[in-house]
Amino acid sequence: MSILGGGIFKGMAVTLRNFVGSYFSKERFITTNEYSWRPESELPQSIGDYPKEEGEQLSDTTTVNHYSRNFPMLLHDTGEPMDTIRCVACQICERECPPQCIYIEKSTEKKENADGKPQFYPAKFDIDVSVCMSCQICVEVCPFDAIVMNSQFELSTPDRFGGLLVRRDDLLKSNDYYHKIHPQEAATRDERMAADKAAKEAKKKAAAEKAKAAAEAKAAAAEAANESKEDTE
Amino acid sequence: MSLELIKDILLATVPLLVIFPSLFAFTTWMERKALARIQNRIGPNKIGIPCTRIGLFGLGQPAADGIKMIFKEDIVPRGADKLFHLLAPILALIPAMLILCFLPLEFPWGKFMSGQVQAFLLDSAVIFFFAISGLATLAIFMAGWASRNKYSLLGGMRAVAQMVSYEIPLVLSAVVVVMMAGSLNAKEIADVQTGFNWFVLTPWGLAAFIVFFVAALAETNRSPFDLPEAESEIIAGYFTEYSGFKFALFFLGEYIAMFAISGLAVTLFLGAGDGPFLAVAPWLSVVWFIAKIFGLIAVMIWLRGTLPRLRVDQLMAFAWKFLLPLSIFNILLAGMSHHVTVAYPGTTAQVVTWTVSLVGMYVMAKGLDKISRSTAKPREYLYAE
Repeated sequence: MSILGGGIFKGMAVTLRNFVGSYFSKERFITTNEYSWRPESELPQSIGDYPKEEGEQLSDTTTVNHYSRNFPMLLHDTGEPMDTIRCVACQICERECPPQCIYIEKSTEKKENADGKPQFYPAKFDIDVSVCMSCQICVEVCPFDAIVMNSQFELSTPDRFGGLLVRRDDLLKSNDYYHKIHPQEAATRDERMAADKAAKEAKKKAAAEKAKAAAEAKAAAAEAANESKEDTE
Repeated sequence: MSLELIKDILLATVPLLVIFPSLFAFTTWMERKALARIQNRIGPNKIGIPCTRIGLFGLGQPAADGIKMIFKEDIVPRGADKLFHLLAPILALIPAMLILCFLPLEFPWGKFMSGQVQAFLLDSAVIFFFAISGLATLAIFMAGWASRNKYSLLGGMRAVAQMVSYEIPLVLSAVVVVMMAGSLNAKEIADVQTGFNWFVLTPWGLAAFIVFFVAALAETNRSPFDLPEAESEIIAGYFTEYSGFKFALFFLGEYIAMFAISGLAVTLFLGAGDGPFLAVAPWLSVVWFIAKIFGLIAVMIWLRGTLPRLRVDQLMAFAWKFLLPLSIFNILLAGMSHHVTVAYPGTTAQVVTWTVSLVGMYVMAKGLDKISRSTAKPREYLYAE
């Protein structure tokens, strides 16, 4: 039997701990790491400094820390991005996206993926930064671990139409980059994918063995039947 | 009108008009700071002394906010009812300011100069307090209606439903104090509690205080009962279409109402200006009073940082099925305890009534909670889960 209203006091204890702790431990300010990757002399000084130079707003260096989740990116395994892309253009994320900021065009022909299996691939994969609400639902629903959250946040641009629509080639990031920005999450994801793959192969193997055994038994039975037939004759 | 009378009126009312709006500015800063710390952020820390980089912990933030509010464009929607759109924020502020006058704040200068201790010495102050604070509902609905905006109207309707429902447990929990003090006069209620005879230190007073505080949160539209202005659901509720100084008036009215209702809670349950060292320095009573108000407001901010918002049906069920029976039962307990102690004076009777009240109250609350839980159906989701 729980105490009436005990949950409220428990929650208040949590917030009190955070309130007091924020005055004593510096590590708690995880959300206010100001531009930790850049020396102070190179910080943008005025609005005109954004973006500093061509291509920097989508560069790999603009990350905060491994808790930060900002905007989705597409993953590819080691190799040429389009040869090893994990996305198979199944369009589940496009349908599930609450603000509908993803636009996918499926390819007409199949192409070999990293495992050497012919698959469809996205001919177009656009995400609108101004519409995305960073809810991470696309990551949750993706059955191929192809879309994960990036942590880069310097997405400001002087072009409010084309600049805010991030194209497939800008979204594509390697699995190594993912390991760099979210080491814990990437490690667990890789582990799980490997386990899934192993389980799948074991199942396949078992099924093959079963089929083989069944075929052998059938052959043996047929042989036995033949023999008994011969006996009776 | 004699000069003496004008002086009395000014001495009684000007402090209220100066102290509480300045406390409002400080409270907005305090709230933002506390919420930030709860979420492991720093909060406002840049604005201090102008033209320097001295931050002063962001204490200049309220002034900067005020300047911004005054210079912002005042936008009135084309389809809005212009007169009521203008009247609503004013009407929201007036009752909040008016009920401050009933608080038994004993300003030292008032006492020394003319013997006046509070702005309105009414024999029915508690009733008047509730009657006037009920007007705020009208202002909020007026704002929601006059804006000609569906979100405003939804917010206004939610506010009316909520404030009408929660007024009943609010008044019924105050009834216990009126029964014990035998008076509706705020000054007399405060006097009864001097010397740490605070009503919150009795079982029925404690229960009434908790019910009162919860209902007060709902009355002032504070989280977790901030449905009328739920940002994630209906933008900003009834003041969606307000900007600039009109918005500032709504904001001010809301915080002044918080001060007023906390002040009433302090008067009814927490001994008003009672506290230590009063014999040495009588002027400390104002300090104690305002310190207690700030204590309650700190708890309100703390709760805002902790609890998520309720659903509309949960809100209504909580008022009608939990708080209302509980406060009625509390009145019965208080009456019973009073008559038993009068009939059988002595410590034994007191111990018995206190135990019976405490256990009875807890069992009642637990039972009500259990009933509401057993009748509540699990929510069916169509797409989630």
